[in-house]
Amino acid sequence: MKIKSSGSGPPDVDMTPMIDIVFQLIAFFMVITNFEQQQADERVTLPRDQLAKPPEVKRENSLTINFGYEKNKLGEVIDPNPYVFFGDEKLTVEQSALKLRTESQFYKTIGTDLKDVTVEIRADAGVPSGLVQKLIQLCQEEGIGFQRFALKATQNR
Amino acid sequence: MKIRTRNQAGDKIETQMAPMIDVVFQLLIFFMLTLKIIEPEGDFDINMPLGAPQTSSVTDADLPPFKVRLQADPDNRELALLTYNGQPLGNGANAFLRLNSEILKSVNALRAAGPGNLDKQEVEIDPDYGLQYKNIISAISACSGKMVDGKMVRYISRIKFAPIREKE
Repeated sequence: MKIKSSGSGPPDVDMTPMIDIVFQLIAFFMVITNFEQQQADERVTLPRDQLAKPPEVKRENSLTINFGYEKNKLGEVIDPNPYVFFGDEKLTVEQSALKLRTESQFYKTIGTDLKDVTVEIRADAGVPSGLVQKLIQLCQEEGIGFQRFALKATQNR
Repeated sequence: MKIRTRNQAGDKIETQMAPMIDVVFQLLIFFMLTLKIIEPEGDFDINMPLGAPQTSSVTDADLPPFKVRLQADPDNRELALLTYNGQPLGNGANAFLRLNSEILKSVNALRAAGPGNLDKQEVEIDPDYGLQYKNIISAISACSGKMVDGKMVRYISRIKFAPIREKE
């Protein structure tokens, strides 16, 4: 029987297959990682629809408004009143007027016509329709003046 | 000047793999941690929403909008009754399928009436205040078109909201 003799040097480990696999993994993660800044808020569960196809050409000027419920870590609604989320701030529809006015002023300052700005509304599937209508109405009010609107939904496959 | 001499007798050059593997693993961990799976999101344009001044040449007198009325169940805020131009279409997912076929009938009639009519036609969505928003999206989708073999066939693109109904 042949007995392996322990050599004086360390045993040679072939690293090539491992490096191959690791590079494959890196390439995979690099390709699927989306570095584009998403305005999505995790608290909003969008309604699902078959026709909600992502646009082929990205809009140049868009303002995303997240409108949904305060939820716990399990995704359960902890407050029955829906809020408009601006980052960490949560505001009622009426309270968000000031914020919308600031956004509208910003677009006016940088010289963008509000006709070219699309307000993308990401509203939770369960919010009352009347409040979404109110939010749209608020965006059109005197002193805010947004004109183009889009309602977001998740694509259903 | 020191001149590098060639390795004699074909000595194997030892490559230092450890630093490369360190960096590669760091990269791998970075990409794994930053990975966020986001579902594809699409949207529906609302061309002439509520309260907007009538800037288009189309007025109600020219082409009355198709009226889609969504009534809510006051208990669970789900769809109780869907009506299209006064015609009841029931509730649930089937109501939206029926709405889709009714819209197709109207679209075909418009096409037969003359070119350009379809582009001018509007749909007015009139929901109850408390109705769950997902029903609005389903109604807009049913009016917008249909998926056939992975391609969208567009029906009506001008969709607007009726004035807000008061809270029940």
